[in-house]
Amino acid sequence: MSGNECPREADILEAIAFGRWPDGCGDLSAHAASCEVCADLVEVAVALHDDRAALCREAQPPSSGMVWWRATIRARAEATRTATQPISVLQGIAGACVVGAAAGLVTIAWQSMHWMDRIGELAMRLESRRADIATASTFATGHGLPILVAVAAGLVLAPLALYITLADD
Amino acid sequence: MRDVAFSTLEQLGAAATDSEGAFQMDEEAFRLFYERTARPVWAYLSRMSGNARLADDLLQETYYRFLRANVAHESDAHRRNYLFRIATNIVRDHRRRPRMDQSRLADGHDAAEPIDPQSADAAAGAVRRLDLARSMARLKPRERDLLWLAYAQGSSHKEIAETLGLKTASVKLLLFRARQRLARFLREGVR
Repeated sequence: MSGNECPREADILEAIAFGRWPDGCGDLSAHAASCEVCADLVEVAVALHDDRAALCREAQPPSSGMVWWRATIRARAEATRTATQPISVLQGIAGACVVGAAAGLVTIAWQSMHWMDRIGELAMRLESRRADIATASTFATGHGLPILVAVAAGLVLAPLALYITLADD
Repeated sequence: MRDVAFSTLEQLGAAATDSEGAFQMDEEAFRLFYERTARPVWAYLSRMSGNARLADDLLQETYYRFLRANVAHESDAHRRNYLFRIATNIVRDHRRRPRMDQSRLADGHDAAEPIDPQSADAAAGAVRRLDLARSMARLKPRERDLLWLAYAQGSSHKEIAETLGLKTASVKLLLFRARQRLARFLREGVR
């Protein structure tokens, strides 16, 4: 037996737990009165045992059905939130793709404008050779127009695609 | 793409409807377990948080986390210990959060409110419980947990160690010190 324990602690605890303390525990009561360790044990264990019993009597926990129902609702909400998370990510990626495509189209259009400048320069150089101007114009029209059409289509379709992708319903 | 998204959502919605399938027991098994444990768990939460009303919310949270935990229990005692472990963690989490009504724990008034002082015995009991609540409030949270589990709940040292995440060997000494402190506070009377 060390200074912080007593071999009769278990007997005292059992008596308290089974509601036999202090009646019918003459010997144990006498021991507890003389043993510092057991005196503390009785003081604390009786107070906590009685408090727990009173709290359990007073407790008005919600019904099991209510707790189950709330748990179910919460689990559903969490499951839905978890499940829709990848869709939100996909929506974001799709939106980024549309923006990227639009940016690409604008870049192509910008480059085509430079290209048309060069065609203009070419036309100036060819001015001396008027016979070739018609050829150069045909070349520019043949390639520049589809690009301009593609840019216009992109500008019209990009907001539409964004709306379809990001709309909730 | 829109159609694909809708059909995916419908599938996910159906999966969410079956979310209770993710619980570790069915409703009937839960009802039986809840009826055996709800009052002791509520008492524990009420005394550890020092707030009876808060204990209702913490009780719901405790059982929710219990139901969602994917843990195999070897016995009913193990299941109960696990439940108390969750409750302990929830109270700890709650203590870490700054609260306006933290003073409730300090005076312990709320915990003793439901007493019916119709008789002299009841009044004396109310005073004793108020003293206990105030004395408990002076202890460290871990000391409160230890004492309640040991002397109110009747848990063994091994069970306490599992519930509180301590070594079994250290429970005895920590319990002894906590008991000494609480006994002293109770004798002094906290005013």
